[in-house]
Amino acid sequence: MDLYRCIFGVATFAGMTRTRIVWWSLVLLFLFAAESYAAEPRRVLMLHAFNYTFPATTPIADGARKRLLERSPQAFEIDADFLDLARNTDAEYESRVATFLRAKYEKRPPDVVITLDSAALPFIVRHRDDIAPNVPVVFTSVSPQTHNALRLPANITGIISEFNLDKTLALAERLQPEASRLFVIAGSGDVDRRWQSTARKTIEDRARKFEVTYLFDRSYAKLVEEVSNIPRDAIVIFLTIFADSEGNAFVPAQVAGFLAAVSPAPLYAPYDTYIGNGIVGGFVETLESVGVRAADVTLQILAGKDPATIAPQPNPGQSYRVDHRAMVRWKLQESKLPRHAAVLFKEPTIWTEFRGAVIAAIVIVAVQSLIVGALLVQRQRRLRAENLLRESEERMTFAAAAANIGLWQFDRHRNELWATEHCRALFGIARDAPLTRDAFLSVVHPDDLQTATQSLQKSFETEQPAVSDVRIVLPGEEVRWVRMRARSRSEGGGRPGQLGGIFIDITEQKSAEAEAALQRLEVEHLMRVSVLGELSGSIAHEVNQPLTAILSNAQAALHLLKQDSPDLVEIRDALEDIVHEDNRAGEVIHRLRGLLKKGKRKAENVNINDLVRSTISLLNSELIGRDINVRLDLENSAFLTRGDSVQLQQVLLNLVMNAMDAMASTPTAQRFILVSTRGAQTGIVDVRVKDRGHGIGPKENGRVFEPFYTTKDHGLGLGLTLCSTIIQAHQGRLTLVNDEGGGAIAVFSLPIHQPAIGNA
Amino acid sequence: MTEKLTVYLVDDDPGVLKALSRLLRAEGYDVKPYSSPQVFLEEHDVALPGCAVLDVSMPGLDGLEIQRVLTAGDYHRPVVFVTGKGDIPTSVRAMKAGAIDFLTKPVKDRELFDAVSRAEARDGESRRLHSELESMQAKVSTLTPREREVLTHVVAGRLNKQIAGELGTVEKTIKVHRSRMMEKLGIRTVADLVRMAEKLNLSK
Repeated sequence: MDLYRCIFGVATFAGMTRTRIVWWSLVLLFLFAAESYAAEPRRVLMLHAFNYTFPATTPIADGARKRLLERSPQAFEIDADFLDLARNTDAEYESRVATFLRAKYEKRPPDVVITLDSAALPFIVRHRDDIAPNVPVVFTSVSPQTHNALRLPANITGIISEFNLDKTLALAERLQPEASRLFVIAGSGDVDRRWQSTARKTIEDRARKFEVTYLFDRSYAKLVEEVSNIPRDAIVIFLTIFADSEGNAFVPAQVAGFLAAVSPAPLYAPYDTYIGNGIVGGFVETLESVGVRAADVTLQILAGKDPATIAPQPNPGQSYRVDHRAMVRWKLQESKLPRHAAVLFKEPTIWTEFRGAVIAAIVIVAVQSLIVGALLVQRQRRLRAENLLRESEERMTFAAAAANIGLWQFDRHRNELWATEHCRALFGIARDAPLTRDAFLSVVHPDDLQTATQSLQKSFETEQPAVSDVRIVLPGEEVRWVRMRARSRSEGGGRPGQLGGIFIDITEQKSAEAEAALQRLEVEHLMRVSVLGELSGSIAHEVNQPLTAILSNAQAALHLLKQDSPDLVEIRDALEDIVHEDNRAGEVIHRLRGLLKKGKRKAENVNINDLVRSTISLLNSELIGRDINVRLDLENSAFLTRGDSVQLQQVLLNLVMNAMDAMASTPTAQRFILVSTRGAQTGIVDVRVKDRGHGIGPKENGRVFEPFYTTKDHGLGLGLTLCSTIIQAHQGRLTLVNDEGGGAIAVFSLPIHQPAIGNA
Repeated sequence: MTEKLTVYLVDDDPGVLKALSRLLRAEGYDVKPYSSPQVFLEEHDVALPGCAVLDVSMPGLDGLEIQRVLTAGDYHRPVVFVTGKGDIPTSVRAMKAGAIDFLTKPVKDRELFDAVSRAEARDGESRRLHSELESMQAKVSTLTPREREVLTHVVAGRLNKQIAGELGTVEKTIKVHRSRMMEKLGIRTVADLVRMAEKLNLSK
């Protein structure tokens, strides 16, 4: 930890010194480690048959070196020498090299020698004792034939390379099942010739027969020409060309590349080194695997195992290997490959190479797309909502203006008022004047100012909707009615700060209401006049009676006065009767005038029993004229109700008239009307008018109160409608039912008004 | 006026009844006022000379109905109507039924007295006629059956000879019957006899 801190603490001072310190630290660590193992390092000599440019040996040496360093428990010194036996084949050269090696390794003899390529094995067999006596040897790349021919001493073991041409052919057959022609290429070198015989034998032993062309022992130029003429659908097996028929030396892997370039048909070979140069592939061993096996054997020997007990062994690491690019070039299908075949040079897709990054990128892009999409959708929604809001606002403004409604809102805390332009028009506020609370209140009619402010205040306090109708005075002294509706809204509790509402111009409504009220009064009056018109004859009779009595009394008095001794008592009686009868006539006229008068409703105490009596007396002559018997059954109590006596009398008049009309076809002897009052106990007085007429027909039931519905020939259909309206205006109820004993009963109920004490 | 004539007065209106009674009494009539038609009919006495003054429209029984009752028997009490509603159909009906007059309220004293006196005159006349007929009837009842037969034939305008032939006797006998019959009846001329026979409805 301290060292670490020291190193990196220093490193912060200067970048250059940092690398140097790291380097030295590593060297020191290595030295300490080396010291902790054996003082004498083990030595392995890699003996290459050719020079370092030979492709087949370098990968084996690399594979072995890596394996040794990986697996070894102790330090190694790995030496390498290149015998360069390809060009130098004479014995003199061999002895010179042997002498050189002996001198080179005399002080530090190797513990194990690994030979690379089969050519190095005969050399070390011949010169082993010169270089390092009885040193264990691990060979590589030795064919079974060579191994058998050499008859090796006991402590020489290694890896036998068996090139399986049969399996390579099998691969070719699998990939090109339709192929009928087979071309086999081999050169004229030693190894090449060995391959020639192996190939012939292998092909002859195979079950499937091809039309075989052996391109052996050709000059390179001839070979290239022939290869370029091979038909497209043939199979070409390339073995080795170390030398052509003219004695030129070649590197087989390079030749494979050249021939693959010119051949129309796919090339196969049993060598891994060719793969990548253009051939399709074959059943091969990788050179690294050979190196690894050799290293394993070496390690066994170094661990103390007797090399004589270790038998030479084949390399287990053989497999089908193909070049993807070549497959593509010759349109060979990957699906036809045997299982576990290794496909090389397959351009790794971005997916396989940067899977994590790709996933991350895709995820990021997807997330971003989602976010962008969501934002777009949200924006769309917002735009739509804004559009809708704007449309809605426009519609509302239009509707509000069309309906003569002004919208407003008042902020109590800031004393700010917002109102639509229509409010300005409603209140007649000048175009340039500011819309303030005072501007609105200033045009309210002085009599309604209190109503307006109280209503708003109430709404603020109770948070309940408030409605009030106020008059406003427009600049031209025109008065208009405006209905204010207000509702307060508190934000986050506490006292409400916002008050919103509408103004509606209800001038027309108000005038219509007034007109309707006026018309109703007018109609009521007309109905009274019409009823009285119907009764005019009877009423005239009612006035005529007292007039008759007056006249007769007066004339009687005159006659009495003419007599010699006038009876003064009788004359006085006559005069008193005149006064009495005059009062009587006056009462009738008074009653009539009341009924004929047009006027507003009054609220006065009305004695219901008196009302009944007065009404019946008004109808007296009519009842007599129609041969109708009337009986009054009035509860002995002074029922007082609050209302308009004229209107109530009109109701009673109407009901009795209806009863009379209903009995037009009733036999004279049965014509009877009973008017009764009840209700001293209940607090509600019931006035019932019962007749013995035709009653209410089933069709008429329920419709009798409808305006303009009538069962009479000359009726207007307004009588009962008006009666009902009047009774309802007196907080009462009017009903009309059939009596079980025949005829109809009309009842109206009115609340009894309790008069002040001593007034009853 | 030495003897007071009776006036039956019927009106349902007490004020009017009282006033009219007072007026008629001041004129010297004996007024019997009734506010109820039924009570009036119960107490009505045909023997009392006089007339009835009736209101037309009254509850229960109106004036015209009372008139019908009053004129149903032999004796026809003269009726004067007083009405508040002087409609023509009612007045025509009343007059056809023999009313003396049909007065509209308020009624003037002169018109009322005039009508009442006419009614009283009518009543007097009819009562006089009635008693005359009664005495004549009594005289007729004294005649023998033969004289009665002769009377019938004389009234029919037959000559004595014709009558004798009809009855199977001689002219002379007829003459005797005829003179005795005329004597009994107190009639001198045939014309008077015919007039009397008409009144008594004896022509058959």
